[in-house]
Amino acid sequence: MGSTSDPAQSFVGRDVVSMRNFSNEEIVHILDLADRFESVNEPLLRGKILANLFFEPSTRTRLSFQAAMARLGGATIGFADAAISSVSKGESLADTIRVVENYCDIIVIRHRYEGAARLAANTTSLPVLNAGDGSNQHPTQTLLDLFTIRKIHGRIHELRVAFLGDLRYSRTVHSLIETLGRFACDLVLVSPPSLRMPSDILDDLAAKGVRCREEFDPSILPLDVDVLYTTRIQKERFPDPLEYERVKNAYQLDRQSLNVYSQTVTVMHPLPRVNEISTDLDDYEGAAYFKQAKNGITVRKTLLSILLGVA
Amino acid sequence: MVPHKQVKAHRTRRSIEVSALKQGTVVDHLRRGTGLKVLNVLGLLTEGAVAIGLNLDSKRLGQKDLIKIENRELTQEELNKIAILSPEATLSIIRDFKVFSKFQPELTDEMEGVVHCQNPSCISNNERIRSRFQVLEREPLRLRCYYCERVIPSGEIELL
Repeated sequence: MGSTSDPAQSFVGRDVVSMRNFSNEEIVHILDLADRFESVNEPLLRGKILANLFFEPSTRTRLSFQAAMARLGGATIGFADAAISSVSKGESLADTIRVVENYCDIIVIRHRYEGAARLAANTTSLPVLNAGDGSNQHPTQTLLDLFTIRKIHGRIHELRVAFLGDLRYSRTVHSLIETLGRFACDLVLVSPPSLRMPSDILDDLAAKGVRCREEFDPSILPLDVDVLYTTRIQKERFPDPLEYERVKNAYQLDRQSLNVYSQTVTVMHPLPRVNEISTDLDDYEGAAYFKQAKNGITVRKTLLSILLGVA
Repeated sequence: MVPHKQVKAHRTRRSIEVSALKQGTVVDHLRRGTGLKVLNVLGLLTEGAVAIGLNLDSKRLGQKDLIKIENRELTQEELNKIAILSPEATLSIIRDFKVFSKFQPELTDEMEGVVHCQNPSCISNNERIRSRFQVLEREPLRLRCYYCERVIPSGEIELL
């Protein structure tokens, strides 16, 4: 892919911290470029070094960035746990970034605090990719979700999307929902009342005129949807273990629960799944969660290439 | 007999005379009840010569608060704080007893070190950095934290 194009050039050196920093046109450009990158495994990034700074645990996102870098001939350094970084010695995030920027060409960061990636991006002139900051944003997950949706439905605008599960703490959902709203999608939010979407996000969606409704009964799946996006309900969010058990089972999707649909519904999940999706759904035509993981490599290869100016 | 000088009480006009400022700032038309808050957030409770009028009659507001600050002009950060607390306020810069300029405090589109982010998981509360907010809407005021991206409605804004 030696050719350059204007849309790709406009991303050189930029940060990917929040979906809010990308216009709808830019998002579509990235997805278009990702279509081209799907089969690209050339050493475009030979000699480039990615620093994977995971202050919080991660398997998929970290390995996905590492694999994307390796597929394009680049190298990866980094750590997978704050306990083994100098943060455990009391170093500030800004200082860590100022040191690491001398070792690499691009930085990926996951951090428990919201806004950490923004601070990192402000500290260095290198491109910074946010791999999750607290419960705020996970833009590369959003882009791979959009890429997956577009591959299946042929578009990302004017779709009907339902989100199920933990909508309070899921950064994946927070990041995706704002973007789908911008593309005029209808949204249904199904969650236990204790894990409902934060009010500031709901207010923001309302202020932008996004069509969005909340439901608190998971036994009645919304029928008017193209995509069911489920999330993991985390045990630690519930002070009462009995309440967790009740909610966990109520939010499980299986083959039978999808019988209410006359059409094939796309079932998505950022993974890891625990009980939210039964394994009997894995061979369901609409099951897209492992496709999301695969598409993650494509989208991250695309992003690394355009930010480093080799696309 | 020493002539008795009669003092008339002016019961019809409620005014409090405070000596004119030679140099400084008059913050007028403060929303009633915000005068002390303004003094507090500007750090004027413990520093400098200040005169304050509370619950004064006002044609425009019905009642208002007013502050005269000696030998001090306000920074943009301080103007932002006043604009959040009382957008109707009028500021007069006084130089050599004369009004040098008069204006209303206008919120800048972005502000640093003015508002506290109430999200305990925001990086601005966990690293040595100044808070930073973007103005989404002015009426009613809605701010977005530049770091954690949370939106704060006007009723929940907490000044630093």
